[in-house]
Amino acid sequence: MADLLIEGLVKRFGDVRAVDNLSLHVADGEFVTLLGPSGCGKSTTLAAVAGLDRPDEGRIIVGGKTYFDSARGIWLPPEARGCGLVFQTYALWPHMTVYDNVVFPLTLRKVSGADRKRRVAEVLALVEMEPYADRYPHQLSGGQQQRVALARTLVYQPAILLLDEPLSNLDAKLRDRARAWLAELRTRLGLTTIYVTHDQIEALSLSDRIVVMNAGRIAQVGPPQEIYERPADPFVADFIGTTNFLPARVAEVGAGSAVLELGDGQRVEVAAERPPAQGSRVTLAFRPEQMRAATAGEVSDGQGCVVETRVLSRSYVGGSWQVALDLGGGALRLETATPPAGDTARIWLPRSGGIVFQETAHVAG
Amino acid sequence: MSTTSDAGAPARFPREIPIQYGTALLVVVLVAAPLLPVLYQSLLDGPLYDRDVRLTLGNFVRLAHTDGFGLVLWNTFVLAALTTVVAQVFGTLAAILFGRTDIPGARVLGELFLWPLYLSALVLSFGWYTIYGPAGYVTLFWQSLFGDAPWNLYSLGGMAAIAGVSQAPLAYLYCLSSAGMTDPTLEEAARVSGAGTFTTLRRITLPLMLPAIAYSAVLNFTIGLELLSVPLIFGEPAGINVLTTFLFNVSATSPRPDHGLAATAAALMLVVICFLVWLQGRLLGNTRRFVTLGGKATRPRPFRLGGLRWPLFVGCVIYVVLTGIAPIAMLVLRAFTSFLSPMIPLADVLTLDNFTSLANEPIYARAVRNSFIVSLVGAAIATALVGLIALIVHRSEFRFRGALHYVALFPRAVPGVVAGIGFFYAFALIPGLGGIRNSIWVLVIAFTMRFIPAGLGAVAPMLLQVSPDLDRAARVQGADWWTTSRRIMAPLMRPALVACYTILFISFFKEYATAIFLFAPGSEVIGTALLQTWVQGEVGVVAALAAIQVIVIAVCVATARAIFGVKLHG
Ligand SMILES: Nc1ncnc2c1ncn2[C@@H]1O[C@H](COP(=O)(O)OP(=O)(O)OP(=O)(O)O)[C@@H](O)[C@H]1O
Ligand SMILES: [Mg+2]
Repeated sequence: MADLLIEGLVKRFGDVRAVDNLSLHVADGEFVTLLGPSGCGKSTTLAAVAGLDRPDEGRIIVGGKTYFDSARGIWLPPEARGCGLVFQTYALWPHMTVYDNVVFPLTLRKVSGADRKRRVAEVLALVEMEPYADRYPHQLSGGQQQRVALARTLVYQPAILLLDEPLSNLDAKLRDRARAWLAELRTRLGLTTIYVTHDQIEALSLSDRIVVMNAGRIAQVGPPQEIYERPADPFVADFIGTTNFLPARVAEVGAGSAVLELGDGQRVEVAAERPPAQGSRVTLAFRPEQMRAATAGEVSDGQGCVVETRVLSRSYVGGSWQVALDLGGGALRLETATPPAGDTARIWLPRSGGIVFQETAHVAG
Repeated sequence: MSTTSDAGAPARFPREIPIQYGTALLVVVLVAAPLLPVLYQSLLDGPLYDRDVRLTLGNFVRLAHTDGFGLVLWNTFVLAALTTVVAQVFGTLAAILFGRTDIPGARVLGELFLWPLYLSALVLSFGWYTIYGPAGYVTLFWQSLFGDAPWNLYSLGGMAAIAGVSQAPLAYLYCLSSAGMTDPTLEEAARVSGAGTFTTLRRITLPLMLPAIAYSAVLNFTIGLELLSVPLIFGEPAGINVLTTFLFNVSATSPRPDHGLAATAAALMLVVICFLVWLQGRLLGNTRRFVTLGGKATRPRPFRLGGLRWPLFVGCVIYVVLTGIAPIAMLVLRAFTSFLSPMIPLADVLTLDNFTSLANEPIYARAVRNSFIVSLVGAAIATALVGLIALIVHRSEFRFRGALHYVALFPRAVPGVVAGIGFFYAFALIPGLGGIRNSIWVLVIAFTMRFIPAGLGAVAPMLLQVSPDLDRAARVQGADWWTTSRRIMAPLMRPALVACYTILFISFFKEYATAIFLFAPGSEVIGTALLQTWVQGEVGVVAALAAIQVIVIAVCVATARAIFGVKLHG
């Protein structure tokens, strides 16, 4: 096991900078997730660590061993690195049985016969695939293939474990099970792990830290809770599940709070540690579960504000209603047990919990 | 698990370096071996193995002033052009009829139409001779009924007919895989909008096939230029010379060789073919990068031929019988008879004498044995080389893999006769090769060089279908390139390698154009023996040798298809 240090990593494909000056330190035994939309450079980063692609610039050091250093012209081929990589496609060799697949890395390392058998049995037991040792990959289900792929990687105790969307080929149910199983395994093994996904639930539930990537750059790094509650910009907020963005202007600034004027002139007061300058344009972001329909007669108070919204549509999603609202030109989505009756709805927004972003970045998606 | 990590494979010497550079060097030497001597010889005033020779441009002047050389060029051009026309017309028609209409027995007819592709033009020529030659079966039959036969194989037209028929399958295959054939929605749209069968064919299907027709036309023209067998058998006796027979007559195969002239003509030919191959590449690039030969298994709703269905069927059967089945069947029958004529009952002439004399004459027996050794062993060696090249080009980080790919495909631009002459010089030039110069290994080397592109054509598409993750996975786990190639890629490539071996076996088995310049007493193969016995007028032995070739190839094709489901064209 080892720690991983990436410094100033750049990988270009023609004019595209697939990874753009990425720096990251992953501590020994830490589980870090790379999260981001399709094409943001997650796989490219992983391939650079594993040695499948040669990056253009930067340094990669794992446990004191330099894998890559553009300045010193060092580049280790993948076979000299000792990483473990589980592919999105699993990449089980179709002409070998499960046993042969798993034993292959041990054969390469000239592990003695008895030792080999024992270690394969051990690792297959770990992934609960012992009874399937004699099957061929095409005789396994997707989830089983994924476990074999993991076993094949764990069997040689890699310095670090790299997982590229290992669950994305599974259906929703299997995925939940596999995720729980992976979480358990991860606490048991304590391997330094980089996990790639574009599924925020996987990222939030498995990781010590999350790295949100956007267009080859790091948008934010932090523990899941921090990423979720204090996204650094609207992009991260959007990606991590915040769906409601309201354009606004700062009308008044107080101590630790600000009054924002929405597009239609309604005002809301929000808590803000470092309030933006008066008159500046901002974006106010809420998560759906943070707002609710206001009760009859409820008015703004110290806890939150009540605002009038226009109802655009409502749809029953099983157990509750999803209501699309328009608030001063911003779209809101509200989950509620009883749908609003008329064309307008009064909703309650909390004073704290919402996030105020300076109007600089635009919201993707 | 324990915390001691044995993750890093022990550092070792990168084995891929010598393997990759070695292979690349081998391919470069192999491809350059026949080319450089030809170019060098074309600039010398004497044979290149002589001691005092001087550089000169005189050969070019001499070639230009050679009596009748202009006519040779003209004949070459006319023959290639006529051949192309014949091949394209029949090939395109067959593609439409067998590929897109409800003609009865389309599958079987399509298979039979392909057969000339598997045989050499040489054998097909003998077949045609047996029935359409001056004393041919059909010719005699015709004469007994109507008087003089209106055809004459010993003419440019006659030769173009044979060559065209033997090359029509290429046009057929390319047209079959064109967009017009494989994308039914395009013509269905036309039909829905009210176009009738023939309007759709003319306005939609045919135009969509044009890129395929253009590409295969250039391909067929190229092959027409390189053709040696047909002009040698039918052109020579009638005094019609083309570039290949001209080369044959002035090079080492003639009693009084003129090396300067031969090399210069060969260089000229090389330049022209290079241009045409370049043109092929352009055409292919402009249409679709990869043409999948063999077409689609499922045929979309075919055109209804209506009342023309059966007449067209009869026409196709007649074509297939007259151009392919009858000549080959007659040739095989001729092998088992002493004389073949419609006037004499078959029972009177049946005999095994031809095979007996074949077995008793050491030269012929040796030729058959050599053919088998060259094909069985040579194709295995060549397949190994091709597999290695494919892996390096498509699945390695080898620095010069692009260049290697280019060089490996270059033999497409080297006609068989030029390769033959070139290797002859190469072996004459390099000292210490005396041992193999007169052995069959010369042929193995030359054939391997000739057919690397054909082998790559069989291996590369299948290799590209193997997910790169499979070998990357092995690399990450600590296998170096060579281990990955042997343990992971080689087993996955097995079907491709089997297809490659079969194609190379057949190609080696029927090759004669290169061999004819290289064989020595003791290293004859069937192809060269065929030409020798033909010159000696021993038609029965020719037929027997040809029959052996036909039967071996037929068995080979049938087995490969039945057992491995291998597609053998490409
Ligand atoms: N071999 C390549 N050649 C050219 N461009 C490439 C290549 N591989 C990746 N890219 C580009 O680099 C960028 C990053 O790709 P990458 O595969 O790292 O994305 P990703 O974050 O893994 O996306 P996904 O979630 O879809 O797997 C993309 O814009 C992609 O188009
Ligand atoms: Mg990816």
